Amino acid sequence: MPRLNSFADLLEAARETGRPLDELFLDEESTEREVPIERLRKMFLERWAVMKDSVRRGLAGGKSFSGLVGGDAKRVIEFTRDGDIAGGHLVAKAIAYSIAVLEENSRMGVIVAAPTAGAAGMVPGTLLALSEEHGLDDAATVRGLVVAGGFGALVAARAELSGAAGGCQAEQGVGASMAAGGLAFLLGGDPETCVHAAALTLQNTLGLACDPVAGLVEVPCVVRNGFTAMLALAGAQTALAGVRSVIPMDEVVEAMVRIGEAMPRSLKETADGGLAMTPTGCRIRNELYQIK
Amino acid sequence: MISLLDIVGPVMVGPSSSHTAGACRLSHVALALLEEEPVEARFELHSAFAKTMRGHGTDRALVAGALGMEVDDERIKDALDLARARGLVFSFKPKNMGPEAHPNSVAIHLKGKTHAISILGASIGGGMIEIREVDGFPVSLTARDPCILLFYEDRPGMVMRASEIIGRRGINIASMEVLRRGKGDQAFMRIDLDAPLPHEDVAALRDLPGVHRVHVLDRVAGGAPIT
Repeated sequence: MPRLNSFADLLEAARETGRPLDELFLDEESTEREVPIERLRKMFLERWAVMKDSVRRGLAGGKSFSGLVGGDAKRVIEFTRDGDIAGGHLVAKAIAYSIAVLEENSRMGVIVAAPTAGAAGMVPGTLLALSEEHGLDDAATVRGLVVAGGFGALVAARAELSGAAGGCQAEQGVGASMAAGGLAFLLGGDPETCVHAAALTLQNTLGLACDPVAGLVEVPCVVRNGFTAMLALAGAQTALAGVRSVIPMDEVVEAMVRIGEAMPRSLKETADGGLAMTPTGCRIRNELYQIK
Repeated sequence: MISLLDIVGPVMVGPSSSHTAGACRLSHVALALLEEEPVEARFELHSAFAKTMRGHGTDRALVAGALGMEVDDERIKDALDLARARGLVFSFKPKNMGPEAHPNSVAIHLKGKTHAISILGASIGGGMIEIREVDGFPVSLTARDPCILLFYEDRPGMVMRASEIIGRRGINIASMEVLRRGKGDQAFMRIDLDAPLPHEDVAALRDLPGVHRVHVLDRVAGGAPIT
């Protein structure tokens, strides 16, 4: 089997061997790290347990470190329980759970970065929502988590996953596209379909700026995880329906890198532009840091 | 390929993988190189690292790493108080490292009772880090795989002697880097290994004539899981 360095390699390996994506990724990881596959599965199950727990803790509510955010995941899920819903239970749960992880993160709680802390919501949020709505057990769901992780690793081979280097597209864009790949896999998509789900999702986050108010991973990051979770669902839904990304995933990743390079530093995590520099953003920063 | 467990991971205390987890790991590497309890820790932060330090808990995470905490340690948020209680003196200041430097760069200066160490590192996303300088020597270190750092007096035969000790143990050298300040002056070797080197071999490296100090870095920053 060829080494996996790109999505093209992955699809070729899948075609040649006829094996599912999670097994291809676990094989590669097992060979590279000299860790038995069963041990890797167990480690993913452990991470999945921490992810689910971070959703649960996040849904309980509570304010962030700065006091700026908190309680939104709870609001969304309680609104849904009352039956007033705009997009169905799967959508509502995916939004609430993704926000929950980020709220827990903003309280310096324990989370699993996926691929980063500021983008840690979408993968657990969407996979947990899907597993509940479709009655999948942990062993089944974790296969989607492995695919999501593998997709992230393939992106990371070509792009630095940080807001400082690539803007929010490199964090939440990648997180959402990982989630889309995992969702499509769990919903029975073939390897091509899973990669298209990721490509469609990533290309619809291109250009997303990283402009956090007061430099905190709070506004807009927390609620944005809920919104980009929707993009992941859209990516899976459209790809499973047969929609294809005209631009192949490897090229979408390259486009993301070039856009990241072209972005001014003020929109790459420095809190010197965008939402951070709005009058309200500045007022919040000044109040938090007691700047006169 | 980057490990899937680095992508779905690390398990960490929020709020930022680069500014909290990465910062903690960078300091942890400095601590591993110091090899004793630090009494003083000075941090110089560049660009994005400096601008958003307090909001991301970067200050707490840097100090937590210097205290030996891992990225999932829930005491990270109390690290400044814990450091004060332990008598660790710390300071932070912004420093412009120029347009070429990674925005999330930090210079860490740790001082123990007997010696001191300085590193320059960057947090490159998702909690992954890169050390770019150790005591002024330019390096490229991820601290994810076992690695040996040797400081020694530049003289013929040193690479052979060091690699002989490692080869005798049947451990493969994945890559290496040899640098010196000038002919016959202080020299530096970085040896990446496929497996950790046993203590007695590290001791043998330390006993080589002309060797000033040897540091061992074993997977401080995630990397391959240990089975």
